[in-house]
Amino acid sequence: MGQIMGTYNTRHINLQSNEQPTFPPDVGFCFKRGQRKMIAREQDLISARIPVKYRDYCAHLLLDYNVCRYKHMPLLYRCAHERHAYLNCEQQDYVLRMKEFERERRLRERELRIKNSVHPCPY
Amino acid sequence: MSSKCIVYGYMFLNVKMSSLLKRALFNNSQSIRKTAALFCNATRNHWNYQYQPGPYPKTPEERAAAAKKYGMTVEEYTPYPEDMGYGDYPKLPDIGEDSKDPHYPYDNPELKRNFNEPLHATAEIFGGDRCDISIRRRFSLLHQWTWFLGTLGGFALLMVFLEDYKIGRPVTAKQIPGQGVHYLFSPN
Repeated sequence: MGQIMGTYNTRHINLQSNEQPTFPPDVGFCFKRGQRKMIAREQDLISARIPVKYRDYCAHLLLDYNVCRYKHMPLLYRCAHERHAYLNCEQQDYVLRMKEFERERRLRERELRIKNSVHPCPY
Repeated sequence: MSSKCIVYGYMFLNVKMSSLLKRALFNNSQSIRKTAALFCNATRNHWNYQYQPGPYPKTPEERAAAAKKYGMTVEEYTPYPEDMGYGDYPKLPDIGEDSKDPHYPYDNPELKRNFNEPLHATAEIFGGDRCDISIRRRFSLLHQWTWFLGTLGGFALLMVFLEDYKIGRPVTAKQIPGQGVHYLFSPN
């Protein structure tokens, strides 16, 4: 039910949907995080006339899928493998966003715990 | 002017529309006006000098004469205010054709009008297929406004008071390649 309740349980820490992460990226990690790489070239995306909102980190797989579609049209069932690869990449991208959200939520809860554990000043 | 409109009407029937339009638009300097007449009322663009109402009646004798001219009694004859420019044309009650009795044997049943009955000054919008401001509304105006403002206002209040209770999916913003550096959850 998380996709429906979503940010219902994070109201006390003011965490909403589709926000940018506020903590530095290496906080809480014992290793150095790898960077996401953009594989498709900008000029290829432009010349293939892919709409701007689809030019994300999975765009190289989208390019392959479009090429396959063009080659095999109208027998589009032959492109199932490329389509599956693209959709899996998009799903992994979404899972990454969910992980970022969870990380943000845990760091904020930790911050709240630290703030509340300090004894209030009696004077 | 009306004969030209009739001619253009026949031309429209016999000739294809695009060539007519081209001829109409490019041939002479008054072509736009005539083309507009083709799409507007091409059959009733005439004015008869006898249609013009007389001047505004000022003395009781003039009022009696005007009432007789329009076939009304002196008691029920009231002209429009002088500054509106209608002259001595009578101000008839705003009853649309739709609310008139359908079973009465009119002389002219298509217009629900008897012979020599004065036409309303704005009879063109009170026609049977057009506006009728005198019908009994199914829902009163108060009812309509209440529901309209209530619905819109209700939604507005919902938006204002539930602003802090919004819920969404548990994800951060979509990571777009050109905007900022994005990291994985593993070293590679």
